[in-house]
Amino acid sequence: MRAIVIEDDIDIQQQIVERLKTEGFAVDAADNGDEGLYLVQEYPADVAIVDLGLPKMSGLEVINRIRDQGIKVPILILTARGRWQDKVEGLDAGADDYLVKPFHHEEMMARIRVLIRRASGWADSRIVCSPVSLDTTTQRTYVDDRELELTAYEYKVLEYLMLHAGEVISKTVLTEHLYDDESDNDSNVIEVFIRRLRQKLDPEESLKPIETLRGRGYRFTLERAEQT
Amino acid sequence: MKSIKSRLTLVSMVVLAVFMVLTAIALEQAVVKRALQAEEDGLQLMIYSLLAAVDQDAGGLSLTVSPNRLFEPGLVTRNSGIYALLYDRRKTEIWRSESITVDFPAVGDVDIGKWDFEIVEHQATPYFRLVFAIQWPDINEKLQRYDVVVWRNAVGYFEQLNRFRQTLWAWLIITTILLLLVMYLVTRWSLLPLKKIGLEVKAIEDQQQTGFELDYPDEIAPLTENLNILLSREQYQRQRYRNAMDDLAHSLKTPLAVLTGLGDQAQLEPAQLETLREQTERMNQIVSYQLQKATSVSDIRITRPVDLVTVIDKLLSALEKVYQEKAIAVERRLPPQMLLRMDEGDCLEVVGNLLDNAFKYGSRQISISGWVQDDKTTTLTIEDDGEGLGDSEIRQIMNRGTRLDEATEGQGIGLAVVADIVESYNIELEFAAAKLGGLAVSLRFQAV
Repeated sequence: MRAIVIEDDIDIQQQIVERLKTEGFAVDAADNGDEGLYLVQEYPADVAIVDLGLPKMSGLEVINRIRDQGIKVPILILTARGRWQDKVEGLDAGADDYLVKPFHHEEMMARIRVLIRRASGWADSRIVCSPVSLDTTTQRTYVDDRELELTAYEYKVLEYLMLHAGEVISKTVLTEHLYDDESDNDSNVIEVFIRRLRQKLDPEESLKPIETLRGRGYRFTLERAEQT
Repeated sequence: MKSIKSRLTLVSMVVLAVFMVLTAIALEQAVVKRALQAEEDGLQLMIYSLLAAVDQDAGGLSLTVSPNRLFEPGLVTRNSGIYALLYDRRKTEIWRSESITVDFPAVGDVDIGKWDFEIVEHQATPYFRLVFAIQWPDINEKLQRYDVVVWRNAVGYFEQLNRFRQTLWAWLIITTILLLLVMYLVTRWSLLPLKKIGLEVKAIEDQQQTGFELDYPDEIAPLTENLNILLSREQYQRQRYRNAMDDLAHSLKTPLAVLTGLGDQAQLEPAQLETLREQTERMNQIVSYQLQKATSVSDIRITRPVDLVTVIDKLLSALEKVYQEKAIAVERRLPPQMLLRMDEGDCLEVVGNLLDNAFKYGSRQISISGWVQDDKTTTLTIEDDGEGLGDSEIRQIMNRGTRLDEATEGQGIGLAVVADIVESYNIELEFAAAKLGGLAVSLRFQAV
């Protein structure tokens, strides 16, 4: 997952970035509205965390411009003021949730996960494409009741594919959503992760959960389970 | 009587009515006096002309009048309305004009050379009567006393006087009505600037303008200019205060956020970590509570009434987005409009906190209902199907001063802020067990 953090206070920004990275996110950060808007326009992200009180361009203006350009990234706003007028304005402008400073990182992560799931049409923290299920809170993966041992990157690839089950995901998109900097990565790495995931999810090759579409990317083929 | 226009109109009516009545009386008196004087003068002339026609009779002991020397034709025309008589010292009639057809009563004593003018009613007919006593020498050069009496029928005079009175009063009434109308229009015109001020105040209230924009007469202009200065200074101060509070919130909460973040990361003993979290949370609560309290406007001043229904709609669309996963069903029973005189920011704060709590603690359902009673009291009730609050928890929230320290995370701080704001607006806040099973919070306020 890729997150963009737009926060002018460097200490808070660093803490958020560190926490997101610990949770396996690829993170880009900006300390002003102008740069933040540029990042959102240029890098497809799974979530944007926007402080309302930003220099150069206010957080509200950034959100308005993001939505005006039709970018559908889920937005979590951070506000020090905490007044309902500010929250309503932010949510009206197109944000999806808010957090009032100071906040605990667990709460921030829980909200970010909800926003990412919601953007992909998942209501529950457990995403299920039978027989594969994935608990986004504990980051555990199961095939039926059997828990799989996945590396951090394998989990990230599987989570992204399952969140977008049924959609064709190009290798570039996967790379963008998994790594901070594409240049650091060998172009074969994604193929390696996919191969390993296939072996772990479907050792007997009866499910065929991940389909390769030549020249286009990958598709998670198992159907989404109905969520209550 | 509250209206200045009514007061001025009433005073004008009374003063004008008194003035007109006094004018009418004075005018009538003057006219009557002048008319009577004219009548008396006319009769005096007649007596003088009569005396010019007087001669001694054949015996030389008495007087007689030569009709051919009378210049007044009325005296020789029967029943002309002008009559003259001459009496000797024994009040014996010695001559009467040819015009007389009825008998006239004798006259009393009048001093020699004096005039006695009176209006006398005789045989149901009013007359002017002038008596003049003279002395005239007889043949023996002895002065003999005579009374010359002239009567003139006054019916015409009184008819004319009545016509004059009618005309006078008719014109006075018409003039009074016209003057009242003019005074009413003048009053209206004079009070127009005040009406304009009222309209401008309403426009300022409705936030359609920020001050008084029209030109006013010299007497009122200083007032509106000073009010404009006051308004702009107040707006500037309010904005400056809010900005300062925002900056303060930012300045205080940023380090708190850093500390909270550190608490989440630091490699501390669990007990130390707990203490760090508790203390930062407590600081956060104090800062949040005091800042919320400081930024609430809390006085009505010139504020536009807020429509609670619009505020609720705005908040619901925000909260339904935030709590999308909970898929809470919102039952909404509200009138088309619920107006409340309150700062919009404060209103959003109060209703926002109550609705947020309902969404946060409710399980599946929330009910929002509002109604206006006959006495214009409006009630808004928000219920949820959560676990609700115990009596002791409610008492803690409502007990000023202690609630901050004992406030629990979530409900405590939000409801404490709500309780503070509504108290400053004299709005009643009530907690009860909801029919849905959770907490029911009611706001009761005076509708606009």
